[in-house]
Amino acid sequence: MSENSMSSTVISPENIAVNRFGYGARGDELAHAKVDPKKWLSSQLQVIEFSDKQPSSDDIFVAHAKFQKQKKLMKQQQKQAQDSQAQVVDKNKIKMIKNSARKTYVKMSAASLKQAITSDHSVSWRLLDFFSNHFSVSTSGRLMVGLSPTLEREAIAPNLLGNFADMLLAVEQHPAMLVYLNNEKSFGANSRMAKKRKVGLNENLAREIMELHTLGVDGGYSQTDVIELAKGITGWSVIRPKKEHGTGFVFRAYGHEPGARTLLGKKYAQRGIIQGQQMLRDLAMHPSTAKYVCSKIAHHFVSEKPPKSLLNKMQKTWLNNQGNIKQVMLTLFDAEEAWLASPQKFKTPREFVISTYRAIAPNRINDRALLNSLNNLGQMPFNAGSPAGFSDDESDWLGASALMARVEWSSLVSTQVKRINAEQVMATALGSSISQNTYQMVIRAESRQQASTLLLMSPEFQRR
Amino acid sequence: MIDNKKSKNDPLASSFRSALTSKLEKADTLSRRKFIKMAGAGLAVLSFPMSPAFAFEAGSKVKSNFKHKPKIVWVVLRGALDSLHTIVPTFDAQYAQLRPKLSASFKGPLLPLEKGFALHPSLINLHQWYQEKSLLPIVAVSSGYPRRSHFDGQDFLESGKDEIDHDSGWLARAIAVKNKSALAVARSTPISLRSPFANSEQVNTWYPSKFKSADEDIYAALNKLYQDDEALKEKLNSALAIKGLVDDNGQHKQKGKFNDLAKSCAKLMTAEQGVDCAMLELGGWDTHNNQSARLARKLTELDSGLAELKAGLGDEWQNTVVIIGTEFGRTAKENGTGGTDHGTASALFLAGGAVNGGKVKGHWPGLKPDELFQQRDLMPTSNSFSWFASVLSQHWQLSEQELQQVFPHIKSYSEVLIKS
Repeated sequence: MSENSMSSTVISPENIAVNRFGYGARGDELAHAKVDPKKWLSSQLQVIEFSDKQPSSDDIFVAHAKFQKQKKLMKQQQKQAQDSQAQVVDKNKIKMIKNSARKTYVKMSAASLKQAITSDHSVSWRLLDFFSNHFSVSTSGRLMVGLSPTLEREAIAPNLLGNFADMLLAVEQHPAMLVYLNNEKSFGANSRMAKKRKVGLNENLAREIMELHTLGVDGGYSQTDVIELAKGITGWSVIRPKKEHGTGFVFRAYGHEPGARTLLGKKYAQRGIIQGQQMLRDLAMHPSTAKYVCSKIAHHFVSEKPPKSLLNKMQKTWLNNQGNIKQVMLTLFDAEEAWLASPQKFKTPREFVISTYRAIAPNRINDRALLNSLNNLGQMPFNAGSPAGFSDDESDWLGASALMARVEWSSLVSTQVKRINAEQVMATALGSSISQNTYQMVIRAESRQQASTLLLMSPEFQRR
Repeated sequence: MIDNKKSKNDPLASSFRSALTSKLEKADTLSRRKFIKMAGAGLAVLSFPMSPAFAFEAGSKVKSNFKHKPKIVWVVLRGALDSLHTIVPTFDAQYAQLRPKLSASFKGPLLPLEKGFALHPSLINLHQWYQEKSLLPIVAVSSGYPRRSHFDGQDFLESGKDEIDHDSGWLARAIAVKNKSALAVARSTPISLRSPFANSEQVNTWYPSKFKSADEDIYAALNKLYQDDEALKEKLNSALAIKGLVDDNGQHKQKGKFNDLAKSCAKLMTAEQGVDCAMLELGGWDTHNNQSARLARKLTELDSGLAELKAGLGDEWQNTVVIIGTEFGRTAKENGTGGTDHGTASALFLAGGAVNGGKVKGHWPGLKPDELFQQRDLMPTSNSFSWFASVLSQHWQLSEQELQQVFPHIKSYSEVLIKS
């Protein structure tokens, strides 16, 4: 945090624009930003388009169903025949399909990272990653391995510069979220479905919607509210391609808990899917949500202890503009509180890796090596292992062995990239915002590799 | 009173700090080559994170300062362990009614304890220890955390105050008052071991890295590079000290599995400059669906990991108490997806040669609708923090006054948990 940091370095406004709000300088970005840092920032907010043709969540469901069918077939065959050759063939087939889920995950996660690395509007990519972590899903179970990376592509990116309510609805109706937080099998005890077979309520998604996605844990809701929301979204499910036609989100009306609901004191008499949708829209516009999400944004971009005046400005914009994310970001860029010239945040591993590659700009990056890097630095994509996502606090990332892993990784990268020019990388990434000590140590290092390692591990590069 | 705001003036903290600073200054004047050699050999010239006593009693014998001393290992099970599926109340007729599927799903005979309780079939080693009277299960406990959020529940359990304090953990406060040292097997310090004045001098983190080790020269240069950044400098120095220890134990490939982590944990605890306590974490307990298969797997992982810990501790196991806890329990009733949802009371385990075990503690509240908390969860009948306080009082001899600094709002129980 700021009080511990080096007092000697003053960070220039263009450095703040590019490194604090974006994913770090690439090429001559610092020079571009220098002309008018605030204007440069607002021009950074652009719609994110994924450049590759990756499978959709629908494709992944179909592949998963195929895999299960195959596996079942194999088991049957094993029981029937003792023909060992046939068994070997089938096992290979199974393995092929299994690997494809893992492969898809690696390809998609690496593709997002690489686009963030090469993008000329990295501020938008950082914003995407912020919301992807806000609506965190993890690769628990075979289906979620393939499904996790599709949430940010299909539900978050299209709404990134729009209203929070639209993003919220898209996320909570996306198969990845429904499966991850077990809502796809949550049905009302008094629904028509309950008369035929034993079904029950699962509160998991409803609880996390209020605690993590909207109001925040201190947002003023009770266990009763959790149950009411859970009932309101009963029947929000996904098609099972194995047994049904089609793919994707489905509302199973016969599994919806009938009756009016009361959430946070407001009555919802709507029938069917609209009931839950209206609940989510109201949650999105609740003042607690404005407060919670705005302070999370400020915490992420600016400081672990953002000043109250900054939060007030952002919340005001949020409430006056239907939770429009672009407007909130513009308010943030415009606020003087966001431009403190001393380092405010310690980079997360993801930020560290992306900003490193942006500064070094290697010719090619291997997908698997990229993900291995993040895994060993402690931030494997879609593996937070908790719907709360990865931490955004220095205390959680700056540990002794975590720092050691960064040193080792920096050293590795510095060896792998041929003829790396540390002085040039330093100018690209940090410009003039560098202390005399760091500058001297990098310039006078005994080897190319050591110079680059020291630069990447310098307080100026580790903090933003 | 311990208060995280005023640490800088704390006499205990400042004496640690000055001891550390003098070591650092000395190291600075060493030739770079010499510095590297010493750090590489694991002599930990920059700081003495493993042995705070040494910093005080310079000249006295450091060696085996930590040996044959009471040790604590704190294991947090993240995700809310379903205690009802782990310590089964076979005598309670309600159990099968609340959980028709789950109660019939055990893949082997339950392992009997006293009073009609029984352990999950996966807990083979734990059951063995129970029979040897070094395992003490405690049923129906809660930290007093009133809601059902994992993340807050865990933070509450680790913080140990009546309100979550993300910068101060109960184990760190115990370490501070008793001048002990600790190791967190994690990539960064968990809340349990966070405290403004039990810092890198006393608390270290370690986690296996898969990268090839960097050229040794770089560390000396980094030390200089961090001259104006206290936080980075501090972590670098702790890391170097630990690196020496683990590297000396042979550089086999670490995988980050609980078994391996427990094994390394034992190694680090019993190394030349070992520690008085350690913390391990194991996630994956949030069994909203398919609970039977998942818990069978997870409990095996826990059981065999703890066995590795015991094996690694060797004779020190006799001086050890392992405290195993989770943020809260799960619903008494099974849900519609073969699992259970977030609940309230759960269970604790105390394990180790020092534990006065072989019985089941905690008052059983019953599972009838009116006996449940909010008619849905197992009712807590005792407080986890009081049990922790009892362990600290009996095992580390914390006085009433010292306990007040660790758990300001809690009293310890008088039951005998530690073998005399």
